[in-house]
Amino acid sequence: VTDLTAIVVIVGLGLITLVTRASFFLLPARIELPAPIERALRYAPACALMAIIAREVLAPRGAHRVNVDNEQLWGVVAAGAVFIWTRSMLAMMTVGMVVFTVLRLAG
Amino acid sequence: VSRVELAVAPVETGALRDGARALMPAAPAIAVWGLVTGLAMVDSGLPTRWAVLMTLVVFAGSAQLATLPLIVEGAPPAVIWITALLVNLRFVIFSAAGRQYFRHLSIGQRLFAGYINGDLGFALFIRRFDAEGERGSPYQWGYFYGLAAVNWVVWQVASLAGIFAAGWADSEWGLELAAVLALVAVVLPMLHNAPAVIGVVVAAAVSVLGVGLPVRLGLPLAVVCGVAVSFAVESTPLGQLALGERR
Repeated sequence: VTDLTAIVVIVGLGLITLVTRASFFLLPARIELPAPIERALRYAPACALMAIIAREVLAPRGAHRVNVDNEQLWGVVAAGAVFIWTRSMLAMMTVGMVVFTVLRLAG
Repeated sequence: VSRVELAVAPVETGALRDGARALMPAAPAIAVWGLVTGLAMVDSGLPTRWAVLMTLVVFAGSAQLATLPLIVEGAPPAVIWITALLVNLRFVIFSAAGRQYFRHLSIGQRLFAGYINGDLGFALFIRRFDAEGERGSPYQWGYFYGLAAVNWVVWQVASLAGIFAAGWADSEWGLELAAVLALVAVVLPMLHNAPAVIGVVVAAAVSVLGVGLPVRLGLPLAVVCGVAVSFAVESTPLGQLALGERR
């Protein structure tokens, strides 16, 4: 792969990302989307984040790990509980990483 | 209230500060994601100069990670671009969700808002203004760019650090998990009612079940299913069930 090819590919990737992220922003302002659709879409960011989290934890690198030996799963569960209780990001990340590391070293 | 006409939008200066401040709790998350992405780019065999260009031009971790192996093995550009398009489908849904806020800006301003609109910043933005009736004010634009600017800088600095530190960090440490935990801290406060909770459970299940689908199609599919279920639950008795405090 030459430098020129790589630059073309990477700039193309940038343009595709720009077009997808800006897609609906570029609709003329006078056009109205159906109100129920707009209401439903408020749930999209949370769904996308949770889909990313679930994939990383339960199917890392594309291989299913839905079982009790999954150290990452317990790390996330512990961290989630700490966050709901304390609302502290630092506390939740510390507990999550400690649980994960202890299970990894013990396992 | 003091206002400035930035090239990107007319903004309230206080809003820039409020937005930047709102991003701070998530900054470690973004830094870890950026670092992991930078490390992964170079570990996959991408030369440093291309990795630097990629992070600055593309600015989309998931699309970068998904296309890396294809670039390194010299796949046809069309295949690489289609892969990125599919990985980015969730951003099309985001742009529809956020359209009301940006519709009255100029085309160039809307394009720039698109470039800088990542997952975390947008999630925090929607969370902040969802309950308000008004869509698209100098306060909201300022808040958006306060969030977005800090998000961009933290991501790029961490990403470049990862690129130049590649080979130094151990994949066993669980840096990826640290990044995931940070996302958990962003998503939990968004689960303020029963439809949201049920929707994310569905999205998680579809995402995991759909892991075998080509080019990460499971991700946009998970978003569509989660949103549809959340919306359906809204019109049932469960739809009125609120959880915790609304932030």
